[in-house]
Amino acid sequence: MAGIWILADSRERAFELLNIGREMADRAGTRVVAVLRVREQAEESISRGADEVILLPSLPADQPYEAYITPISEEVRKENPDLVLLPATVAGKNMAVLMAARLGAGLVSSCTSLGFDEKNKTFVMERLMYGGTAVQKVVCTTRPTMATIPPRTFEAAQPLSGRRGPIRELRKPSSSAVKVIERRPKEKETKDITEARVIICVGRGMDKKEDLTLAKQLAEAVGGAIGCTRPIAEEFHWLPEDLCIGLSGVQVKPDLYLGIGVSGQVQHVTGIRGAKVIAAINKDENAPIFKVADLGIIGDLYDVMPKLVCEMQGRT
Amino acid sequence: MDFKLTEEQELIRKNVREFCEKNIDPIAVEIDENSRHPAELFKKLAEGGWMGIPIPSEYGGAGGDFLTGTIVVEELSRSCASTGFTISTHAGIVCTMVLMFGTEDQKKTYLAPLAEGRQLGAFALTEPGAGTDVMAITTAAVPDGNDYIINGAKTFTSNGPTAGTYLVFAWTDKSAGRKGMSALIVPREAPGLRIGEHFKKMGLRSSQTSEVIFKDCRIPKNNVLGKEGAGLPMAMAGFDGGRIGIAAQCVGILQGALEESIRYSKERVQFGAPISRNQAIAWMIADMATDLSAARFLTYHAAWLKDQKLPFSKESAMAKLYASEAAMRHTVKAVQIHGGYGYCKGAKVERLMRDAKITEIYEGTSEAQRMVISGSVLR
Amino acid sequence: MPAVVACFKWVVDEAYIRRGPSGDLDFSSVDYKIGDYDRNAIEEAARLKEALGAEAVAVTVGVPEAAKGVKDALSRGADRACFAVDDSFGNLDSYETAFILSQVISTKMDKYKLIICGEGSSDLYAQQVGPRLAEMLGIPCVSFVQKVSVANERLLAERRVDEGVEVVEVPFPALITVRPDINVPRIPGVKDTLMAGKKPSVRITKDELPSHGGPLLRTISVEASKMERICERFGTDKAEIARFVWSLRKSGVIE
Repeated sequence: MAGIWILADSRERAFELLNIGREMADRAGTRVVAVLRVREQAEESISRGADEVILLPSLPADQPYEAYITPISEEVRKENPDLVLLPATVAGKNMAVLMAARLGAGLVSSCTSLGFDEKNKTFVMERLMYGGTAVQKVVCTTRPTMATIPPRTFEAAQPLSGRRGPIRELRKPSSSAVKVIERRPKEKETKDITEARVIICVGRGMDKKEDLTLAKQLAEAVGGAIGCTRPIAEEFHWLPEDLCIGLSGVQVKPDLYLGIGVSGQVQHVTGIRGAKVIAAINKDENAPIFKVADLGIIGDLYDVMPKLVCEMQGRT
Repeated sequence: MDFKLTEEQELIRKNVREFCEKNIDPIAVEIDENSRHPAELFKKLAEGGWMGIPIPSEYGGAGGDFLTGTIVVEELSRSCASTGFTISTHAGIVCTMVLMFGTEDQKKTYLAPLAEGRQLGAFALTEPGAGTDVMAITTAAVPDGNDYIINGAKTFTSNGPTAGTYLVFAWTDKSAGRKGMSALIVPREAPGLRIGEHFKKMGLRSSQTSEVIFKDCRIPKNNVLGKEGAGLPMAMAGFDGGRIGIAAQCVGILQGALEESIRYSKERVQFGAPISRNQAIAWMIADMATDLSAARFLTYHAAWLKDQKLPFSKESAMAKLYASEAAMRHTVKAVQIHGGYGYCKGAKVERLMRDAKITEIYEGTSEAQRMVISGSVLR
Repeated sequence: MPAVVACFKWVVDEAYIRRGPSGDLDFSSVDYKIGDYDRNAIEEAARLKEALGAEAVAVTVGVPEAAKGVKDALSRGADRACFAVDDSFGNLDSYETAFILSQVISTKMDKYKLIICGEGSSDLYAQQVGPRLAEMLGIPCVSFVQKVSVANERLLAERRVDEGVEVVEVPFPALITVRPDINVPRIPGVKDTLMAGKKPSVRITKDELPSHGGPLLRTISVEASKMERICERFGTDKAEIARFVWSLRKSGVIE
C-alpha cells in the first residue's frame, strides 16, 4: 500500500489527522505523508507520526488556497496513496472536493469515524445524514479514498522522540482564476438571545445578584448570551424579562445551552428542547435538568464556574 | 374517489404553514393578550396574496379554488384562530359575495381593494334583537332620490372597527317580507356610519368585534349588491360558504390542540413514565385525532362540492356543526392533558380552548345548523 | 437569453423521520422538500437574473416524484426548469449527480453565465456537487458565499473562510455555492404556486444522457443515530472540567 496522506493548514488539525493517519498506516502496513503550509510545523509533524513532509510553497497575496490543487493533485497521481485525509474546515472541505473532482476520487465528507477492514483492505467510514438523525456507513470504490474529518474528532498525536523523515517542497502553482481582492478577519457579533448560538442560563442556584458576574465571564469566554429562568427575572428582578427562557418566556434553539443552578422544571425545559447540546451544573444529582441534559456536572457552581472560565479562556 | 390534494394545494399548505411559523407564531400570544389587530401582519398577508384566494386574478385575487382557500384558513387558524377567522370572513364571505352577486361596476370598484388586501371587509347582518332570527332586523334603507338613507345598528360585527367596506343588510321594502331585504355595499367613509362599542371577548380576542351604527347614512342606489330585495337569499348563500371557513378554522384549532397534546404527553413524566403511556391519555389523543380527521374530511368535501358548483348547503352545515363541537370538546381535553400548565397563560391550549367556544355560536349557532340539516334531510 | 442556473435537490424532510419501536428509522410518513440551502440558491438566482441579463433556470436530477419539486422551484422565481428524471436517480452519490448535471447544463440548454448551488444538500450534506460540477465544466468555483454582486463582467463574491471573510473575483462563467445567510428565500404566494405549472419545463430521460460509469462511494448501511440525551456525568476537579470543555469543543458547539 502506497501511503496515507494528510493535508492540513493549521497545527491543531495537522496533529489530529496525524493521530488517525498513523493508526490507519500501521493497520494497513504503510507510511504517512503530511502536506503542510507552514515550514515550522514540519519537524514536529514528523515527531508526531509523519514519515515524510511535503511543504506547500508560499502564495502571492491575490492567490487563494485552492491554487494548490493542481500541484497537489499531480503529486497524488504520481505517488498514488491509498487514503488522503483533510480536516473538515472551510479550507479543508474546499481543497478536498476540488482535489477529489480533479482526481476522479470518491470523497467521504465529515467522517465521524474511520476504520480499516483487514479482510477487504478497504477503509470504512461513518458520517451523519438527515441533519444528524442517521449514521451512514460508506466505503470508497476508487483509489485514493478521500475523507474530511471534523476538527477535534481525534486528539492530537503525541510526539515521539527519535523520529526522522525527509522534508521537501512542492513546485509553485500557476495562477488561479479565482483572485483574492480582500481578506477580512472575523468580527464579534452582538446577539439577541433567540439568535444566540451559545446560551448561559442562570437559575435559582445563584445566591445573589452580584454572582451574575461569574455567568457573564463565562458567557464572554465562549461568545455566548445570558438567559435566565423565570424566578430570576420575575421574583428577583436580577435580569430583564426578555431574557426568560421557558413556557411563558422565550423559546431558544442554540447550539449549546448551559444551565447554571437551574433545576430544570418543565416550564423552563420546554423552552430549550431544540438546543443541540444541553449541559448543566447543579449540586442536586436528582435535579430534573439532568434528565434532559447531554452533559452534567454535579457540584457547587461557585466551585465549578471559576474553573470553567479558566479552562475556556485558556484556549482562546 | 380521489382523496388526494393537488400538488399546488400541497405546496400552498406548506408555504402558508411556513408563513405562520415565521410571522404569526411569534405574535399570537401578544395579540390575544392585548386584543390587538396586527396591521403589520395583515400587510404581509396582503403582500403574499393570501387575502383573496378564491377571487379571480382579474379582480385582484389569487385565482385559486375554494378548497385552496379553505386549506389556507385551516393553516392560519392552527397558529392563530383570530387571524384565520378574519381572513375567512373577509375573503370567504365578503369578497365571495361581491364576486357572486355584484355588478361588473361593483366588482371593479370594490372587489379589487378587498381581494388585494388593501382593505378589510365586514359582514353586517346581526343586530341586538336579531341573531338567529334574521328576519327580526330593524335596520332600514329608505329611498331618497338616487340614494338610500340607512338607519339602524348592527352588533357583533367582525372586522367592524378595521373594515374599509361593509356589506350591510337592511329592509328596502318591509312590506315585501322575505323579498324586501337588500344587501348594500357601504364604504367606511360613508357619512353617518360610526363604530360603536368594541367588545371584549373570552376568546378570538385579536379579531376586532364591534357595533356599527348607521344614522342617516347616505348611500347611492347603485350600491345595492346585485338585485334589490334579494338580500335574504344572498345572506344564506354567504353563510353557506362562510360555514366552510368556520369549519376550516375549527380544523386548524383541532390540529393545534392535537400537536400540543402529543408533544406535552410525551414530555411530561409522572410516576417514572411519560403520561402518553397511560391509556387514559392515549385514548383522549386517539379520540382527538379521529374527530380531527372526520372534521377535516367533512370540511374539504363541502369545499369541493362548492368548487364543483354542486349543492353544498347541507354539507357545509354538517361540517360547521361537527367541527365546532369537536373543537370545543377536544380543546377542553387538551387543557386537561396539560394539567395545571394548560390553565396558564402562555400555554397554547389555554388560548385554543377560549377561541373554540365562539365557533359553536357565530355564523349560525349549532342549533341553527341542526335546523338546516334536519330541514334538508327530513324533506 | 443566457441562463443563471440554480441546482436543487428534492429531499426527504428530516423533520418527518420517526424512530420505530426497536430504534430503527421509520420513513413511512415522510414528506419531501427542496433542500434548505437549495432554496437559497434558487432565491439568489432569481435576484441576480436582472443584473446578469439572464433568465433563471432551475435544474434537478431525481425520480419522477421530484416533479413536485420542479413546480416548487418554478414558484420561487425560476423562469424555466430542466428535470433529468429516472427511477434510478434516487440515491446517486455526489459524483453521479454532478456528472448528470454537467451533461444537462452543457448539452441541453442555452449558454449559462453563472451556476448557483446550495452549500450542501439537506439529506446527505456531503457538500460536493457544486465544486465537482464546476470541475467537470472547467469553470472556477467559489464556495460558502455569503454575498455576491456583478461588476464589469466579473463576479465579486464574499466567501466565509476559517479566519474570517475573503472577497474574491472570478470571470464568467463561474459556479458558486451559497451559505444560508446569503438571503431569505421568499415564501411563494398562492398566485406564484398556481402559475408555476404553466412555466416551461423540460424532462430529460436517462437514455438521452451518456452513462456516468457508476458511483464512487458505496453505502453499506444507514442506521438511526443515538438520540437520547444520555447525561454524561463529570466531576468537579480540574481534569474533569477540562474533559467537560473538551467534549463541548468536540461537538462543535463552542470553539
